[in-house]
Amino acid sequence: MVPWIDASCILIVFFSLTILATYRISGMIQVFAVQSFVLGLMPFFLHADALAGRDVLIALGTILLKAALVPYILFWAIRHVSMRSEVKPLIGFGTSIICGALLIAGAFWVSLSLKLPGKPGSDLIFPCFLATVLLGFLIMVTRTRAVTQVLGYLVMENGIFLFAVSLFDAMPILIEMGILLDIFVAVFIMAIVVNHINEEFERSPVSVSRSKMGET
Amino acid sequence: MVSILIIIPLLCAFAVFLPVRKLFRGRLFCVVSLIHAGIVTTFWRRLPPAEFNGFLVLDSLGLILLSIISALFLAVSVFMIGYFEHEQRSNRTFTACLLFLLSTMTVVSVSYHMGLLWVMVETTTLFSAPLISFHRTQESLEATWKYLLICSVGIALALIGTFFLAIAAHDTHTLLLPALLNGSSLLSVNWLKLSVIFLLVGYGCKIGLAPTHSWKPETYGQAPGMAAVLMAGVLTQCAFLSLVRVGQICYKAGLNDFYSSILLVMGVLSLVVSATFILGERNIKRAFAYSSIEHMGILVLGIGLGGIGIFGALFHMINNSLAKVIMFLTAGSLAQKYGSSRMNEVQGVIHTYPVTGIFLIASLFAGTAMFPFATFHSELMILNAAVISKQYAVAVLGVVCLALLFMGIARIVLSFFHGQPTEPVLVKKENFFMNAAIAVAVMVLISLGFWMPLFLKKVILDAAALITGMGGPGLRW
Repeated sequence: MVPWIDASCILIVFFSLTILATYRISGMIQVFAVQSFVLGLMPFFLHADALAGRDVLIALGTILLKAALVPYILFWAIRHVSMRSEVKPLIGFGTSIICGALLIAGAFWVSLSLKLPGKPGSDLIFPCFLATVLLGFLIMVTRTRAVTQVLGYLVMENGIFLFAVSLFDAMPILIEMGILLDIFVAVFIMAIVVNHINEEFERSPVSVSRSKMGET
Repeated sequence: MVSILIIIPLLCAFAVFLPVRKLFRGRLFCVVSLIHAGIVTTFWRRLPPAEFNGFLVLDSLGLILLSIISALFLAVSVFMIGYFEHEQRSNRTFTACLLFLLSTMTVVSVSYHMGLLWVMVETTTLFSAPLISFHRTQESLEATWKYLLICSVGIALALIGTFFLAIAAHDTHTLLLPALLNGSSLLSVNWLKLSVIFLLVGYGCKIGLAPTHSWKPETYGQAPGMAAVLMAGVLTQCAFLSLVRVGQICYKAGLNDFYSSILLVMGVLSLVVSATFILGERNIKRAFAYSSIEHMGILVLGIGLGGIGIFGALFHMINNSLAKVIMFLTAGSLAQKYGSSRMNEVQGVIHTYPVTGIFLIASLFAGTAMFPFATFHSELMILNAAVISKQYAVAVLGVVCLALLFMGIARIVLSFFHGQPTEPVLVKKENFFMNAAIAVAVMVLISLGFWMPLFLKKVILDAAALITGMGGPGLRW
């Protein structure tokens, strides 16, 4: 199943890059959902020869939480928050893509010198994990909207989880599920905070908030 | 027994969402804290057995943290009775989050699996976020956002570190602490080093060590006093325990020099940063936040210096949490009384509220480690450790930074204390419950300064031996 694993890894990095290049927030969320779905299939590819119940559980958990519920919450957040739907990048899209490409190259270069003990399933898992985490950071740093920052965080978490699924034997299933659940709750709370922030800003004119911010 | 401690607050957290009266919620929280404290007291007599296949084990290190958790929640629950007498807002979400926090922090103090530890530290981050935006002002929501995002990312780095640790422990096949310690010779050194870097940065972000401290002034400045106490006194120390657990592995694997050198850098940087920024601060809660960065820096420094520094750091964990109770509860009670925490907007506290005024002075002395408060002794021990290990530069820098911090805090506290009394005030009278919670903390901290009970000394020595893996003569004082 190595070709399938390789293909999924490449796809996950590719989708991170797509999120970086997407203009509309709703588009970013959709790409993220697809990325999470591919991530959810990973356990099947990694343990195709001896599929255990825990693999199925992790896969289903990932798909349900990350590919369905989290995008649903994010869509809820942008629907309730009356902000413009475009992403507001600090650096242009072209520059973002070039930076992203450099980060991917860097991730592959770094992973050359790191040897994973045991059989990791595929040589691409480690560099792709690193690349996705770095791209997540880039999205967080260069996109200024609250929801896009959450998306950056989620892309980063997807990268980490890509790494986690290949390390099944060290982590008991309860811990893996705990990690998934934590991320879900994090997004849930972040969405609520985004909503509250918006309510507060709507209640008072922006100029007032600016002067208040200047005081502190 | 440990699982009871976890389950009771969890169940009560759900009970809080039932349609009950505000007063009932406050009392329920009080009762739960009392039961928690009662059970924890029995642990000082005899440690409970391991539970869940060795995932939950209480050792001396955990016992110190668990006792701090218990004591601080008790203090906050008493303080809350008084606070909500003059507060219009519903306490439902607030109390529920506090109970969830109590439950998850208890798990942090007993978890013996590095993965479980990460999951629980992350959960504490999530449940503490709603506490910050209790007043729902724009500033507090911004602070919540900053806290959530910075800490989540920091903790994500710790997760990467945990996975790297799993790679390093490829031959032990588990991340249970005893297995890691016993099989320390099997750990791959390069991966362990990499994981230690990520874990220290990740948990360091949660502790609020420089350079990842930027969320602290904002968050503590906006959070209600009670939430700030729990964050500065317990939450950060939970992350500190995680750091110490990493230290246990490093000492056993012979990487203690590597581990200590990173901690020294982070500790010194935190001292310098807090001493620099506190001088221009005009908000008392934010000033206390810088003091918290300083105290956490000192804790980390103590562990990094080793020897008597470890004993000092563990003692300082207790003292720091008590000092934070005095500081942030006083600041919180002032914020409620005056509706402000800024310099020049609050003056003459001693004339309007004599008792709170005295607590204000106590918080100055406790926070800046003056005799007879026990913070003095523990900080002295850590500076002493710096001199013993011939790190003279660290010792001198430490003293200079502490002096600057004293100036910074004294400037604000004294301007609050003296002067023409500010009028009008929102709450006219002092509150018995609020003052009682602070007064007990003051008394305990002063008595610890005069006399350290034998059982406490024994537990701290045990815990220090756990970190270094030996009870050598370097630990005597």
